[in-house]
Amino acid sequence: MTQPVPASPMYWRFNTEVHRLVGIKCQDCGHISYPRTKICHECGSQNLKEYKLPQRGTIHTFCVNWAPPPQFEPPILPVIVDLEGGGRYGGIMTECGSPDEIKIGTKVEMVFRRMLTDRGLNVYGYKFRLAEEG
Amino acid sequence: MKGKVAVIGVGMIKFGELFDKSLENMIQEAYLNCLKNVEKGIDPKEIKAAWFGQWSGGFIGQGAQGGQSLASMIGNLNLSCSRIENACPTGGDTFRNACLGVASGVYDVVLALGAEKMRDKPSAESLGGAGGGGGAETGNHPSWMMGQGGPAIQAMHATRQMHELGYTMEDFARVAVKNHHNGSLCPYAHYQFEITVERVLNSPVICWPLHLFDCCPQTDGAAAAIVCRADLAKKYTDKPVYVWGSHTGLDHNQLWDRSSFVSQPSVVRAAKGAFEMAGIKPKDVDFAELHDCFTNTELMDIEDVGFARSGEAAKKLKDGEFDMHGKLPINPSGGLKAHGHPIAATGLGQIFEVVTQLREEADKRQVKLKNGIGLQQNVGGPAFGAAVVNILSRSR
Repeated sequence: MTQPVPASPMYWRFNTEVHRLVGIKCQDCGHISYPRTKICHECGSQNLKEYKLPQRGTIHTFCVNWAPPPQFEPPILPVIVDLEGGGRYGGIMTECGSPDEIKIGTKVEMVFRRMLTDRGLNVYGYKFRLAEEG
Repeated sequence: MKGKVAVIGVGMIKFGELFDKSLENMIQEAYLNCLKNVEKGIDPKEIKAAWFGQWSGGFIGQGAQGGQSLASMIGNLNLSCSRIENACPTGGDTFRNACLGVASGVYDVVLALGAEKMRDKPSAESLGGAGGGGGAETGNHPSWMMGQGGPAIQAMHATRQMHELGYTMEDFARVAVKNHHNGSLCPYAHYQFEITVERVLNSPVICWPLHLFDCCPQTDGAAAAIVCRADLAKKYTDKPVYVWGSHTGLDHNQLWDRSSFVSQPSVVRAAKGAFEMAGIKPKDVDFAELHDCFTNTELMDIEDVGFARSGEAAKKLKDGEFDMHGKLPINPSGGLKAHGHPIAATGLGQIFEVVTQLREEADKRQVKLKNGIGLQQNVGGPAFGAAVVNILSRSR
C-alpha cells in the first residue's frame, strides 16, 4: 500500500501559487511572471506588484501528445495560453473530445481539477477547457 | 580565450544501445581512445584537472556521480575534477569549463569527458527523468509538469513555426533525411541508415506535429577531449585545433515566461557571446554541429545561431545549402537525429566531429574547408533555456 506523504511545505505554498494564481507584474518592464516572485524574471527589477492571472485566454500554441507519461491516457493536449489582459499559462486541455477542436487562437478558460495523485495525496490545479460563449 | 587554448586529442566510442557496456566501460574506452588520438603521445600524469559531464545521475539508475567517478575510473586520483550538469548542453559546457581551466592559467593540460547511460531503462522512464511528467514529487509546479517533456515542448515550437513561418511537416522531415544520410557515412553514429521524407511522415505521431523520425533517439555513449595551453600544443600534435570562442546562453526557466516559440533566446545569446569572443561572424564558419534533438529544433538553431534569417532555414535546407557538400554543411556527423543523444556525451561527440573535420580526417563525410572554422552548439533544459556554443579553428 502506498504510504501517504506527511503534510509538506510544498502543499502550503501551492495554495497561493497554484490555487489562487498569484503572479507579479513588473512595474519597470511590464513582464508578467508567474508564480509570484521577488525579482522580475525578465529584467531583474524588484519593483513589482502582485497580479492575479486572468482565467480566460486564447491558445498561443499546442501539440497533441501521443506518448505522455504513464499516468495519462493518450492523447493529451498540452497548451500555452495567452491570457486576456496579459500573462501566459501552460497546462493541458480537459473536456475536449478531439484534437480537431483546438487550434492557435481558440478561446479557452481555466477549470480547477485534480492534476495527479502523489503518494496518496491529491494535487489540485488548473486545466483548460473550451470557453463557453459570452 | 582566443589564442590561449588548443585541443590536442579527441576520443569517443560508437554511440548506440550499448547493453554490454557499463558507465565505467564507456568512460574508460572513450578516455583511452582520446589518449591514443594525441598524435605525438601524452603521459596521462600530465593531465592535472578534469571536468566530468554527467547529466542523468540518479534519475535513471546510474547513481549520483561526482568528480571522483571520473578520477577513479581512469586511475588518476591526483586530478582536480568537478562534475558538470547543465541539461542538454552538459557536454558542450563540460568542454567550455575545461577550456576556462586552461585559459585561466591555472592548468596546462586538462581533460573534458562526458558519458551517459540511457538505454538500460525504457524510454518512458528515462524521459520521465528528463521532466516528462514527474509532477509534484519533483517539487515543480504541477501544471508545468503535466506531460511537458522534450517532445511536447519542441512540438509546441513546431506548431508555432508552422503558424508564423509557414513551415510544413515536410520541411521538418527534410532535416531527418539529411542527417540520416550523413549518419550513414559516420562509423560512430547510433543510426547508420538512410530514410526518406515519406518514411518520416508515415512513422507514428509522437507529439503532433512531430513524428517518430523527427525525434532523436536516446543513446548510450561517451566522448572526450584533451585541452592544453596553445603555446604547448605543438609538443603533442602537428595538427592542434584552437578554441576561439565559448559561451553559455540562457533564457527563462518556465515556458510561459518565453517571448517566442519560433526562436530560442538561449541559443541567440550563446551564439552572440561566442562570436564576439572569436571576433568573427556566422558567414566565416565552414560547417556546424547543431543540436537537432528534434527536426524543427535544427531549423530554429540555424536561424538563432545566425546562419539564416527567421523563416529562411527551411528553404535553404530544401535548396541543399546545409547538405554535406552544400554551402554550409550542418551536422556532418549525422546530428543528434542519427548520431544519437547520450546527453553529457552529445556535446563532446560534436567537439570530436568538429576537430576531426578541421584536421581533415573525417574520411567519407569530410566537408570542404575554406576558413578552417567549425561551430558546435547545444540547447535544452527546462523551457530550453540553456544553450552553449563553442567555436574552433585550425589557426591560432
